[in-house]
Amino acid sequence: MWGQINSGWGYWNVFIWLFFFVLISFFVLWVRSMGRMDYKRNTDQDEIYWSGNDVPEDGADISVPASSSYWGFRVAMEPLYRFLNSFHSGNASDYAGYFVVTTALVGILILF
Amino acid sequence: MKPLDILEVLPRSLWVTTCNSGSCNGCDIEVVATLGPRYDIERFGMKLVGTPRHADVMIVTGPVTRFMREKVKRIYSQMPDPKVVIVVGNCGCSGDVFYKSYNLVGPVDNIIPVDVYVHGCAPRPEAIIEGVTKAVLKLESLRKKEPVSNVVETVGEPVAGEVAL
Ligand code: SF4
Repeated sequence: MWGQINSGWGYWNVFIWLFFFVLISFFVLWVRSMGRMDYKRNTDQDEIYWSGNDVPEDGADISVPASSSYWGFRVAMEPLYRFLNSFHSGNASDYAGYFVVTTALVGILILF
Repeated sequence: MKPLDILEVLPRSLWVTTCNSGSCNGCDIEVVATLGPRYDIERFGMKLVGTPRHADVMIVTGPVTRFMREKVKRIYSQMPDPKVVIVVGNCGCSGDVFYKSYNLVGPVDNIIPVDVYVHGCAPRPEAIIEGVTKAVLKLESLRKKEPVSNVVETVGEPVAGEVAL
């Protein structure tokens, strides 16, 4: 039952999925191994580039927060966002919970 | 043969970052003209990148003001090795008419090692392109770990009173 799921368009097989996962992982690691390793650790070479300035501990003073982007859009959509925000507390386990519930619902829809 | 050695036989483009260490913007405009459609130095593979962490070459314009000293040093040290520095303009080469200013700590070679000097106020794009070709040669020698001569490349005519390097 767990090995293969057929749909109107094809099938999903956990073993084929795992095979390609391992294959692509090896490929990704191979590409990564070709990256440059000759940079000097613990020097400016592995520091963040901040236009030549010291990287600030707290960037709030000299940066514009991401929340300022699409300001008008956010204000216009505020009722929707308030409604969506009411679903969770900001705790990561809420997201995980919704993910599990959604996956279970999708699984039920596919299997039956 | 390691994969990196195989890649080594492919010619690599020159990735460049720029730093204005207090220039009047004249030199920067010429650098932009070099990158623009008329001179289009990208056809030779020179590509402007947004961070020194990807760059092989640093183009410095301006005579290095006190305010910019640490920033120039930091940008230089953030570039991966091997790296090459091109100074564009008389200000960066010698300080030019500002060389006695109380607020200058330059010229650039007082702060970081310089490999190619491009003279002019501001230098023409042709001179900048020549400077870039010299930087390519130097970078190739550094990549092959060949002994590199200490002679610093100079492009264009030094102005009157300036010491030819
Ligand atoms: S060399 Fe001339 S154009 Fe370049 S920064 Fe100095 S004054 Fe400006």
